[in-house]
Amino acid sequence: MTAAQFAALSPLVVLAIAAVAAMMLVPLARLQIVQASAAAGLAVAAALVLLRIGAPAAPMGALFTDDGPARFGIVFACLVSLGALVFLRTGHPAKEAPSLLVLVAIGAATLAGAGHPATLFLGIEILSLSLIALFAFRLTRQGLEAAYKFLVMSGLASSALLLGIALIFAETGALDFAGWGGRGALTAFGTALLLAGLAFKFSLVPFHMWTPDAFEAAPASAATLAGVVSKSAVAIVILRLALTAHLPEPVWSQGLAALGGASVLIGNLLALRQPQLPRMLGYSTIAHSGYIALIIASGTPHAGEAVLFYLAIYAPAMLGALCVSAALGRAPTLPDLHGLMKRRPLEAVALSLSLLSLAGLPAAGGFIAKLFLLRVLIDGSLWVLVGIVVAGSSLGFFYYAKFFTAPFVGHTHDESEPLPQLDRGLLIVCIALIIIFGVAPAGLMNVVAATMAP
Amino acid sequence: MALIALILLPAIGGLVAFFVAGKGERERWVTIATFALMLVLLVGVVATGAEGRWYDKVSYPWVPSFGISLDFAIDGLSATMIALAAGLGIISVMASWSEIRTQSGLFHASLCWTVAATVGVFLSFDLLIFAFFWEAMLVPAFTLIAVWGHGDKEGAALKFLIFNAVAGFGLLAASFALAAMADHMTFSAFELAEMKLSTPVQVWMLLGFSLAFMVKLSVPPFHAWLPEAHTLAPTAGSILLAGLLLKTGAYGLFRFAPMLFPDGLAAVAPYGIALGAAGALYGGLVACGQNDAKRLVAYTSIAHMSIVLMGIAAGVHYALAGAAVEMIAHSFSASALFLLIGALYERTHTRDLRQLGGLQQTAPKFAAAFALFCSALLALPGTANFVGEALVIVGIFQVNWVFALLALSTLIVSVIYATRLLKGLVFGLPQPKPPLADMTWREYWPILVMGIGTLIVGLYPQSLLALLEPAIKAALIHTP
Repeated sequence: MTAAQFAALSPLVVLAIAAVAAMMLVPLARLQIVQASAAAGLAVAAALVLLRIGAPAAPMGALFTDDGPARFGIVFACLVSLGALVFLRTGHPAKEAPSLLVLVAIGAATLAGAGHPATLFLGIEILSLSLIALFAFRLTRQGLEAAYKFLVMSGLASSALLLGIALIFAETGALDFAGWGGRGALTAFGTALLLAGLAFKFSLVPFHMWTPDAFEAAPASAATLAGVVSKSAVAIVILRLALTAHLPEPVWSQGLAALGGASVLIGNLLALRQPQLPRMLGYSTIAHSGYIALIIASGTPHAGEAVLFYLAIYAPAMLGALCVSAALGRAPTLPDLHGLMKRRPLEAVALSLSLLSLAGLPAAGGFIAKLFLLRVLIDGSLWVLVGIVVAGSSLGFFYYAKFFTAPFVGHTHDESEPLPQLDRGLLIVCIALIIIFGVAPAGLMNVVAATMAP
Repeated sequence: MALIALILLPAIGGLVAFFVAGKGERERWVTIATFALMLVLLVGVVATGAEGRWYDKVSYPWVPSFGISLDFAIDGLSATMIALAAGLGIISVMASWSEIRTQSGLFHASLCWTVAATVGVFLSFDLLIFAFFWEAMLVPAFTLIAVWGHGDKEGAALKFLIFNAVAGFGLLAASFALAAMADHMTFSAFELAEMKLSTPVQVWMLLGFSLAFMVKLSVPPFHAWLPEAHTLAPTAGSILLAGLLLKTGAYGLFRFAPMLFPDGLAAVAPYGIALGAAGALYGGLVACGQNDAKRLVAYTSIAHMSIVLMGIAAGVHYALAGAAVEMIAHSFSASALFLLIGALYERTHTRDLRQLGGLQQTAPKFAAAFALFCSALLALPGTANFVGEALVIVGIFQVNWVFALLALSTLIVSVIYATRLLKGLVFGLPQPKPPLADMTWREYWPILVMGIGTLIVGLYPQSLLALLEPAIKAALIHTP
């Protein structure tokens, strides 16, 4: 292994060490120490990638790639996991959780760099298995139900994925993405199965069933990992498949577009009548997966940039909303949010701004993400998809608007504890990012453009 | 830099108001000071302005890779609308002094941010920046209605948000399509106006833009959000909605339709005039049947904005001048009426015309103010509304006399609803008992300012027309 290859893989090594260290520390040290070791691992791994900005991609062989999206995916997974680690403490201070959280980050990082079906499968399995444990952590009825649903469906999705890979291999004889192609029936069927397997992890309709349950029952930090970290890694893999593999066309692009369109419409529709904040976020995350899938399906030149941009804007909003949801205790409903502004101004502002961003209204970053989305679709003259996006976002205004005004009206009694300093810091970072991305998006645009540049 | 300051000033003023709120009336004074500073700055910009149409024009890159830049420019029309925004901002604070007692910080912040976003709309010549501010103004306005409104305020606010945000997609899609047709990626209206597009393409693009503008103008059949939003909003919200937000639709149509799509506008002009005439008749007739005073005024807004649409669609000099004057005139009269009805409602807790009356005996100041603005509502000569409507109708006569007659008939309808309002509130037996307190000076002087404005424009319209002339000239599409 050359030095360049080692440098490219070092973030994964650091993460693995951090996961093991956090596990070993469980019987020996206090929770804070365990968390600190996990946090240090995540921060160092992100820093190791950031230090290599501008370095040429290391030749990595077939298994792993070291291109821009992979680096972006690793940094993204580490930073968002770090955010999730901050509010992992609120709610359930279980000592094994930090280690599982780092494992999710490893899975996401592996997935983001996957250039081969083996790494892809490995990444997905590391991700899913750690997530199952995190979902079930509270051992409540709903938690177990969510974990069980995820376990069964994840197993199904993994089998579909494997069978799909096998069928494609049977016809093309290649196991690297670039070698995939061909027009035979086996490849077409394999592609459909591969898409179904990925769509499960990406919570696209009709493979979305686990998402709202997980958001409702799991601790908010686990929901963040499922809804943001794992999703972004899968998005990057799908993007890489779209860019490098020549999968049979009608199945791949139109299949992705169909799944994406269905997710946008159905996710938003199901979110409409949700009175519960985490469940609403669960359905809205299905819709956001749909938007991202539509961007990739468009196949237009700026699609790659648009995906990364969308992910970067989506992350602080989801993180902020879930952090507030965690702070308010188990599954806050709409009436629980009333009068939040009087009791907890920071949380109220963070929640409203996050939802504003998810709704795609300006001054928040979501508006620019929506612009990017519309631009990509209009570039490709995909007017049907534009119509679907317009219909979906219009439905979105209904439920987001209900939630983002709730903190400013009425009054409810509340005896939950005030937020720790660190969580407040996280919320302030989220607010700042949402506003910066919304008001001065040029910086982030340059970053994603540089990331996608060959 | 001054133009950016005009937008930033209320945006920052809103933040300050949000954070200083608490004891005393600090947030109110901060808000008033912000708007007053804006007016000073605006006068400075206009006074030191360069020769020619634009007083000031700047361009800074925003997202270079998308071809989006902060293209701001100010001419007489923009300056007038911004002055209106700041003035109505101050008036809104005055009008809500005793009405708004909860979450006062957020209220004044929303007020400032609504004004900041509308100022952005009046200054932007980059289509995406325009769309940015266009949608940005919806959020604070939504908050104003949803948090401090009456009755089913959330439903009304949601309706307002959905209608306008969805219509905004038309604006966005057409902007992207336009930029895609340009030889290099740009959203600058100045550059896009140079493109030679075929008439059918122009018509399609115009329809995309018009979707947003028509909904904001609330021309039937795009008006369904307006009656509830106006009726259920707090007084300050109604003032801003009628005086400012509706005007952004008229402004967008006035500014961009002739600039970007002259041939397209000429092709659809007859339909635009017809739609306007139908809307004016519809709004007027429905207004006649209302018993809720605020709802009545809300429907007259639909009628008057339809007259503005007729003027812009006609595209001749008289009609455009009339439309521009009518925009200002309607801001004065509708805002003043909303303020008066709000003040009356605070005292009597009713807006039902059947339960009110006899103000001329119990509260003469109220009665005088209502008399003045009801005359403005029916466009009595001497008021600004007369100048606006008369010019529009004269302009339409040059294009098509049938539509002109239709437009004239709306004046008859306006007499009915204006007198009905007047009769229900001012004349008759004093109701309710015991007699109510007359207006305080804080309520009265905004009325005085708007009344003087109405009369000045009505008696000496040249003062306003001279300011607007360059923008009107630029918007001409027909020159009979």
